[in-house]
Amino acid sequence: MTPDRTVVLELTRLEALHLAGLVRQFDELLDSTEQAADDPAVARLVPDAYEEDPDAAREFRAVTESDLLSRRRSDAAAVIESLRPAIDDPHPLEEGEEGDLVDETGDLTDTVTIPLDPETVNAWLRALAAIRLVLASRLGIRSEDDHDDEDPRFGVYDWLGYRLDGLVRAVSGD
Amino acid sequence: MASSTLSLPDLDRDLDLDIASTPDRPWQTVVWNDPVNLMSYVVHVFQEYFGFSRAKAERLMLAVHHEGHAVVAEGPREQMELHAQAMHDYGLWATIRKAPE
Repeated sequence: MTPDRTVVLELTRLEALHLAGLVRQFDELLDSTEQAADDPAVARLVPDAYEEDPDAAREFRAVTESDLLSRRRSDAAAVIESLRPAIDDPHPLEEGEEGDLVDETGDLTDTVTIPLDPETVNAWLRALAAIRLVLASRLGIRSEDDHDDEDPRFGVYDWLGYRLDGLVRAVSGD
Repeated sequence: MASSTLSLPDLDRDLDLDIASTPDRPWQTVVWNDPVNLMSYVVHVFQEYFGFSRAKAERLMLAVHHEGHAVVAEGPREQMELHAQAMHDYGLWATIRKAPE
């Protein structure tokens, strides 16, 4: 089932910049959290493996937490690396007079093409899924009906879901 | 004396039966429903990690979705712990338990 072909992702430069920002925030969150238990969003990434046996759950976490969290970091790094051609601009965005971001070279709505080899696609899938878990925790999403159309953070959450779903379909050959 | 020689073999047989009829229950890896992970992603994970067919992966995903959880693997505890860690690595919520009697 492992995809053996490269997936070509197309997204706008604005999306690429936005996504890179989210992934960096995710990485900073992991860096700033000493113990996963200190933050419910990080704790969700290393859930209890034993429902009715707190001691076994603690032991399991002691053995797996560091591997799971370093995987989140390496996935984040892989996503940033693949976005680099799209976000590293020789003429970086500058603040215009109105404080708006001005792009001197091209349009932020230009489509950028990002080839993802099979290993990198898997890193993207895991990273997008993990960032959605963190966002969901921050947004207090406890059921599928928890949604606030007025809250732009839900827009970000939905957009990540849309991108994740697209990648899953691409690797599944749908 | 007569009664004990009669009863002992029975006792032995009962013990043997007892051991034979309750082999150590296997352990299970259980995946739980959550409101965040996409159905398509869960199917992908089941196919990729366990090597399940598309149909089986979808069936299990729907069981997770509608029943709240599904047993995705059964076997020795160490193996179930590896599976649970792998599920956590994908962002799925999995637990390990002894198979219910």
